[in-house]
Amino acid sequence: MPRHALSWLLTAQLLVILPFVAYLPAWLVLLWLGCAAWRVQVYRMRVPLPPSWLKGLLLLAVLLGLALSSSGFDLNAAAALLVAAFILKVLEMHRRRDALVVVFLGFFVLVTGFLFDSGLLATLYSLVPFVALLAALIGLQESELARRPVRTLRLAGTLLLQALPLLLVLFVLFPRLGPLWSLPQVKQQGVSGLSDRMAPGDIVELSQSSALAFRVGFDGAAPPRTELYWRALTLERFDGREWSQDAAPAWPSAPQWQAQGEPLRYSVVMEPSNRTWLYGLDVAQTELPRVRQGADFRLEHWRPVDQPLLYPVTSWPAAVRELTAPAATLQRALQLPDAGNPQARLWARQLRADHDQPQALVQAMLSHFREQPYVYSLRPPPVGVHIIDDFLFASRKGFCLHYAGAMTFVLRAAGIPARLVVGYQGGEYNPSGNYLTVRQFDAHAWVEYWLPELGWQRVDPTFAVAPERIEQGLEQAVDEEQSFLADAPLNLLRYRDISWLNGLRLGWERINYGWQRWVLGYQADQQWRVLKEWFGILDGRALAGALLLLLGAPLLLLTVWLIAPWRRRADPLSRQYARFEALLARHGLRRAIGEGPRDFAERAAQALAAQREPILTFARLHEQARYADQSQSGHGLRAALTRLRRCLR
Amino acid sequence: MRRLPAARHVRLAPRQVFILPTRAGWALAAAVGPMLLVAVNYQNSPAYALTFLLVSLALVSLLHAWRTLLGVELRAGPAESTFAGQAACFQIFLGADSARSAIALGWPGMERVLVDIPETGEARVELLLPALRRGWLVAPRLRVESRFPLGLWVAWSGVDLQQQALVYPQPTSGSPMRSRAGGGDGDGQPAGEGVDDFRGLRQHQPADGARRLDWKAFSRGQGLRVKEFAAWAGGDWLLDLDSLPGPLEERLSRLCQAVLELCSEGRPFELRVAGKRLGPAIGAAHREACLRALALHGLGEAS
Repeated sequence: MPRHALSWLLTAQLLVILPFVAYLPAWLVLLWLGCAAWRVQVYRMRVPLPPSWLKGLLLLAVLLGLALSSSGFDLNAAAALLVAAFILKVLEMHRRRDALVVVFLGFFVLVTGFLFDSGLLATLYSLVPFVALLAALIGLQESELARRPVRTLRLAGTLLLQALPLLLVLFVLFPRLGPLWSLPQVKQQGVSGLSDRMAPGDIVELSQSSALAFRVGFDGAAPPRTELYWRALTLERFDGREWSQDAAPAWPSAPQWQAQGEPLRYSVVMEPSNRTWLYGLDVAQTELPRVRQGADFRLEHWRPVDQPLLYPVTSWPAAVRELTAPAATLQRALQLPDAGNPQARLWARQLRADHDQPQALVQAMLSHFREQPYVYSLRPPPVGVHIIDDFLFASRKGFCLHYAGAMTFVLRAAGIPARLVVGYQGGEYNPSGNYLTVRQFDAHAWVEYWLPELGWQRVDPTFAVAPERIEQGLEQAVDEEQSFLADAPLNLLRYRDISWLNGLRLGWERINYGWQRWVLGYQADQQWRVLKEWFGILDGRALAGALLLLLGAPLLLLTVWLIAPWRRRADPLSRQYARFEALLARHGLRRAIGEGPRDFAERAAQALAAQREPILTFARLHEQARYADQSQSGHGLRAALTRLRRCLR
Repeated sequence: MRRLPAARHVRLAPRQVFILPTRAGWALAAAVGPMLLVAVNYQNSPAYALTFLLVSLALVSLLHAWRTLLGVELRAGPAESTFAGQAACFQIFLGADSARSAIALGWPGMERVLVDIPETGEARVELLLPALRRGWLVAPRLRVESRFPLGLWVAWSGVDLQQQALVYPQPTSGSPMRSRAGGGDGDGQPAGEGVDDFRGLRQHQPADGARRLDWKAFSRGQGLRVKEFAAWAGGDWLLDLDSLPGPLEERLSRLCQAVLELCSEGRPFELRVAGKRLGPAIGAAHREACLRALALHGLGEAS
């Protein structure tokens, strides 16, 4: 196989497998190094290709290594196998056909890489190995006569640019289908997020993570920050230590509610959470198919969200929820452990005795939180067995889950149906893009209680203790404590007060949001929306027509450009000679029909005696270039012509 | 199917270039399937994009493969004569109005030669074709193809450049079959300068050929001398096809061998083939005429 093809192929391999180091065993790079070195030595005829027993042994060793370094057969293991095959195939590369297999495998490995990281940077980077693979493919077709490898690369780049319009057309118009079947998923390392069991420690962990949870783009103006309660799910069961989702399987799926007031329209681009619930403001509805509204007003996706997901939402903030709640729902909202936290229960009885109206009772609790020395802190002291009691009456230090959990407990103990809602609160508004970024540290917990004539009502005890948490955000709420992202000194979010740095960060995040929203989120529903609104395409036939038309147009343009009838020209020598003739024609000398270049030059030299020397020089060079040595025609001739032109001026 | 009319000079026009996917092209098509499945099942936009990029590149490379052949000019060069059983060498010149890469040329069913056309000037290709029988070897249609740049498509055209090479009979040595034209052997008188018997040395003159120089004497420092031979009067060699026994092709082969031997020895001879008399004479032109007569005997002078 040609030399350039081999060098491009090996380069491309390294570029392809480099990003995988983050997800797969790093020794794969060493494996590549060994195989590539061997293959190069084979090319230099220092060593033969390995015999089959050695290849078999190597394969066994690699398989064993992969088996040892992976846990079960999941997507990561499959990808590792693919990458290993991609590397080992180099040792089997005898002929052009084997090299083709390696190149195609390389393309496939690139595609697999997107399952691990489909971000903007990763996608842009993938163009680098892609072009190298392309160069290898071109190199395989070139003749053995060595050409500069850079030329191959340039051709690859040209091809890529010419293919871009077609790519755009295909990307926009090719119909997107839903997943055909379920496949093993990438194990996202360290995906943090809300879960269906929350103990206070989980929230502390989340509050240290600046990972993206989701982004929201509003169609109109964004509502005030204090209204941004993004519901994920409700935790109804308290076992004395932690709150969890009720395991009751047979929930009536659609709760009863009435839309009131003005709706809010926005779209959410959600990061993979590996959970089924989506985020939305109460009461949320989405057009995304296969999403249902849960009994607790959450949005439930049909399968865990393992890829970035875009969904449009319509929310009715003023909706009345469940004026008549099912008995089972209310029963769950009154569940308490049989024993424990006696002081809290006692307080609940007192509150109940003092206040007839449940709403007054709630207000009394909020005033209690506001007036007593409660502190909002991410570093609460350790608690004992009666965690509610210890918090309410001893430490008085905690964060959202402590307050919301304690309040739910007391409300239930006082006979008012209540439940804990977890989700996110607030978010960072990016004014240049009119969107909101919600991160893991915006995770929040609040309370919902039920009244017969009003339905479910939201109440946030944290707001009573630390209004700055709701109005400004976590950073301001824990300002004194300096615990905001304390484990990540380099996190850009810690430097939001440096304006140029913050501007850069916001700009970059906006680009990423655009990528998420318009590229990653460009799936079935989003596609039809775009096709309808931008292209007026309503059905499959119109789509097929547009696809053909828009594919044909760039191809036709490219054809015309490649043939370029207007650029058809003689060879450079003839062009130079034509210029020479034109130059002399201006001085009244025209080459007669049948007059040879040499005779013509002699005649011209006689007529223009002053320019004799440059004329004859050009004629001699032209003759030499034409008849003696065709390889180096260009420069000397051009220089001679320029000199003649200067002399004739 | 449109075929190019035979010509010594051919310029490939758009409608004479055909395009088909290669095996690599089919392989890519097969590979795109699983990629698309991954994109669909994981709802992964970059995976979609990469798949579409490959498809787009395949389409673009189709145009490039077509473009590589378009406007290529093929010119028939001279073909050298050869002997049956050897290979005839045909020369073909390729030119174009711009540089072209990796154009493959070859006879149908035989290995192809890759050639690049430079920006200026022409590329020269020599193609071998086995010559099995004497007579005119007419080159089959030449297959010109381009898989450049990605090897996914092959653009090709069949070109007839009307090339042909003369194939002489295969020389085979056999029983002695030369006879003297004069009949009598050995008893004649030397009749002036000839080629038969050594007579002595004389000083070198500019008109003397190199064949008879006395190199041994020259190496001894005795100056350039020429060996002189005497010719036997009426002693030219006669090669007569009809007087030989055996099948025709064998006789032709033996005569061919004799012509080659006599020429290399520098002896004048006469060849009689089917009533035609060539010679007696010596020299390259006589040799060529004799071999040609042997090659075309009974086949007609056509083409």
